Amino acid sequence: MNDKMEKEFLKTILDNQSIIYKICRMYRDSKEDQEDLYQEIVYQLWKSYPSFKNESKVSSWIYRIALNTSMAVYRKSKLIIEYYEDFPEHIHPSGEEIVSENEERLFSAFRFLSDFEKAIISLYLEDFNYQEIAEITGLTENNTGVRISRIKNKLKKILG
Amino acid sequence: MEINNIKSIWQNASANSKSELELKRMTNVINHPSLKKIRTKFLIETISLTFFLFIYYDWFEGNTKPFYLNSLLATILLAYILNDVFGYFLISRPIRGENLKISIEKYYVRIKRLSVYSLSISFLYGTVMIYYFSSGLIFNNKKLFILAGIVIFLLLMTYFSYRTWNRWIKSLKIQVNEFISDGIN
Repeated sequence: MNDKMEKEFLKTILDNQSIIYKICRMYRDSKEDQEDLYQEIVYQLWKSYPSFKNESKVSSWIYRIALNTSMAVYRKSKLIIEYYEDFPEHIHPSGEEIVSENEERLFSAFRFLSDFEKAIISLYLEDFNYQEIAEITGLTENNTGVRISRIKNKLKKILG
Repeated sequence: MEINNIKSIWQNASANSKSELELKRMTNVINHPSLKKIRTKFLIETISLTFFLFIYYDWFEGNTKPFYLNSLLATILLAYILNDVFGYFLISRPIRGENLKISIEKYYVRIKRLSVYSLSISFLYGTVMIYYFSSGLIFNNKKLFILAGIVIFLLLMTYFSYRTWNRWIKSLKIQVNEFISDGIN
């Protein structure tokens, strides 16, 4: 891969790195594991960049590779003891510290979802439509709708 | 709590930004967290086993062992090296299709196959090594005790390796099943 392609790639990732960061936070609990996954995703994006020919949206491509990497790669087993009963009661509307608290609450809630459910809901929350989600995941549009509805209800129950 | 609220939190979630230089480093396999470890392990194993393959006949009196045993040892060493190389390339490419369903399904099948090859070859490798170096020995109680210890060690290593593979395969299998399921049940 040449310098021009590398520059284009790095710019694309710089512009979209929040996607990778969110996926890492969603799929891994510790900072160290998130950092490792981040590197794995960037490496896989780089490897698949020559086959990305702007046929799909950049964000679709990044989501597909990032979710695929997060779901497939081997994870070290760890004994994690955490208690989730003490979630804040409500999602607060605004304010920098409060937003951070809301974020924490949301990412903690994701831990109750399976890897598959995380993939579907992350695409939905990013505002991809059913057709786009179906293309990225390989599900049918009908099935996508059913799954999203179930995961939304599950998430609402967790968050209260 | 409304779903729009959740969407807004997701879309505006804070992000640690990396510099261009940091991202550039991540594109190099030398800086890859897990592939780097696998590569180092594979390289050490491949170099040491290739070295062993060339010297064992002279250093460990291969001429005193039967032909079939020398052939068996050379074959299993080559199989071990080839499996290492094959495994490295397979593990380093988790993206296997144009969508998540196809990609995870294909990766699951390949990882399952790799686990069978790796476990079988590792076990056979251990067994052949033990057999090779114990053939022609006259066993007393002490030697038998050591041999039993080595066999138990090999069985334990195979069991722990099986558990590690199985955990990964199980997690991939769960995902494959979720993609196949119609979502109703």
